Amino acid sequence: MAQLTKPPKRITRFTFLRNLMRGFVGTALGVVGGWSAFGARKKNTVWQIDPMKCVQCEHCSTSCVVSPSAVKCVQSYSICGYCQLCFGYFQPNAPELTSAAENQLCPTDAIERVFVEDPYWEYNIDEDKCIGCAKCVKPCETFGNASFYLQVRHDICVNCNNCSIAMQCPSDAWSRVPLDQPYMLKHQQDYPLQKGIGGVPRHGVPINAAEMELELAPKFELPLAPASKQ
Amino acid sequence: MAAFVGVVALIAGGFLFLLFKSPASVPSEMRVTDYAAEMAAGTLQKTSAATAPEPAEKVDLEGEFETFDGKPGHSEANWPNFRGADYSNIVNSAVPLADAWPESGPPQLWEVDLGEGYAGAVVWKGCVYVIDYDPAKEGDALRSFSIDDGKEIWRRFYHAPTKANHGMTRTVPAVNDDYIVSIGPRCHTLCVSRETGDFRWGIDMVADYGTEVPLWYTGQCPLLDGNTVVLAPGGKAFMIGVDCETGEVLWETPNPNGWKMSHSSIIPMTLLGKKTYVYMSVGGVVGVSAEEADRGTLLWETNEWTHSVISPSPIQIDDSRVFLTAGYGAGSMMIQLKEEGGKIVPQPVYQLDKTAFACEQQTPTFYQGHLFSILPKDAAALRGQFVCLDTDGKFVWASGKTNRFGLGPFLLANDRFYLLDDHGELTMCRASLKDYEIMAKAQVLHGHDAWGPMALVDGKLILRDSLKMICLDVSAP
Repeated sequence: MAQLTKPPKRITRFTFLRNLMRGFVGTALGVVGGWSAFGARKKNTVWQIDPMKCVQCEHCSTSCVVSPSAVKCVQSYSICGYCQLCFGYFQPNAPELTSAAENQLCPTDAIERVFVEDPYWEYNIDEDKCIGCAKCVKPCETFGNASFYLQVRHDICVNCNNCSIAMQCPSDAWSRVPLDQPYMLKHQQDYPLQKGIGGVPRHGVPINAAEMELELAPKFELPLAPASKQ
Repeated sequence: MAAFVGVVALIAGGFLFLLFKSPASVPSEMRVTDYAAEMAAGTLQKTSAATAPEPAEKVDLEGEFETFDGKPGHSEANWPNFRGADYSNIVNSAVPLADAWPESGPPQLWEVDLGEGYAGAVVWKGCVYVIDYDPAKEGDALRSFSIDDGKEIWRRFYHAPTKANHGMTRTVPAVNDDYIVSIGPRCHTLCVSRETGDFRWGIDMVADYGTEVPLWYTGQCPLLDGNTVVLAPGGKAFMIGVDCETGEVLWETPNPNGWKMSHSSIIPMTLLGKKTYVYMSVGGVVGVSAEEADRGTLLWETNEWTHSVISPSPIQIDDSRVFLTAGYGAGSMMIQLKEEGGKIVPQPVYQLDKTAFACEQQTPTFYQGHLFSILPKDAAALRGQFVCLDTDGKFVWASGKTNRFGLGPFLLANDRFYLLDDHGELTMCRASLKDYEIMAKAQVLHGHDAWGPMALVDGKLILRDSLKMICLDVSAP
């Protein structure tokens, strides 16, 4: 009768020691690799908000260990519509479209409204005043072109290992991003992504710091017309 | 053991890959004019020093006239003005409509390129009319096309440079057998002979009435009542009636409150037995007599409903009730008219929060005692959903979180609604009072901001996005 199973392989002392050494080396490599990866992750990554996931919950203004928060509203001028009535700037049904305090949505007067030429108005963020509350972001996203959105400003952020805002974020918008691409540019054509056309994920586009500063630089050469600030 | 080491290496490799992988890039396509980039490139459509008119300079509305190869087409029915013949946005189509579409959607009969805007078309005796903006020549153009093949028949252009501001045109002309009236982005009103395009007269509401051009330009569609054009300029007169034949202003309703032109349109109604023009201005809602005996007389007004941006038009519910709605956080209000001491007094019946019922750029449809609307993006869970409401303000049904639309138009024909979303996806659903029941869906336009009101004539559905107008055959095969 044919033998159906092979006889058990005999383990020699040499084989045992060789496998033991392989296991030890493999484990050591894994530990060293993992340790390096975590170290590199901490060293080479920073926290950032994905503007496509942010739901403007206001935690960013209240949970940061830095005061005021290291999260600021940014203005993507390439997306902005330069509207006379900016829903991110004015209170709903503001009695007048002027920069009087009662008309403004921003609690800290952090948005500067500058006349460019009829019918264009430019809206600039004063980051020294901005507390990252996102009160302007929500209506801009709801009714406007969504050019206002929140970003962690890395000249202020202390890059905590366990970011206290990230732990509070209800929409999983916080993540660590590569140090060489520390910002996320918002897309304005989010609609097809919301619908999941082509299965494309809905997220911001990573960009480097220089690209972000370029994005955040006003594009109009002011003044184009006799300047007036109302 | 070796296998174990291999598995560990694979896991470690995968872990490192996931840790350092870059997010996938997403395709980028600008939704609206990139003002800053175009300004930098010098391509922004703005008034140049050489062409900018002086503020007081009157635009020559007669302008230029061109004719083309197109010939009037054939249509049994008409779509004479904003929201159709009876302003309801409901059409009883004699031509049977298809209950299903092929995967590619209803057959497209023709397409026409337009300047950036949201202006809808009207149809009269086989001709399609639309107010357009020509960015190259910097002015408005009232254009006539054949409904059969989309070929242009004639065009009347006047030079009125307008800067890009979320599109240019956003009004629907009004047409009857003899005349067409259009309103351009900066409140220029033009009346021409329907068939020939001959200039009859023009009114610059800014120059003549001190009208303040609404934010993002004019949205008011002209009203043709017989051969009288009814306009609401705000400014020096709240409402005016103009004779189509002569351009003579027949009557003016005073505007002591200084209420302003909104994006809403005047809707004719019969309220408390009296023909009335109802208009939602920036400032308040007004009823003006449309009776021949006292046409133009103020009947009633209320400032209970006032919002800085109002695009929808008022909706008549019955002999005494009018439903008012708007977007941008406004919500809705039902008002009721009562006669007290010989006066008509409008009183709020109820008010609805923006999360319950509203409409941002279109006007809800009132059908079989129910209101239908697409709710704006600030309507919380109902954002973007197609919603049915009864006239007591009670929620009936919504299309559900997997069926959201944008700011685009919707129209009721026979027993179904057509709904167009921002990016040109057309949905057909049953006009049901019980539930949302989808019939078909197809991508029919591929541009952005498909917000122009629709028109339906003889089974031909005319739609547009920001740069293109198309005609679909939605008739039954």
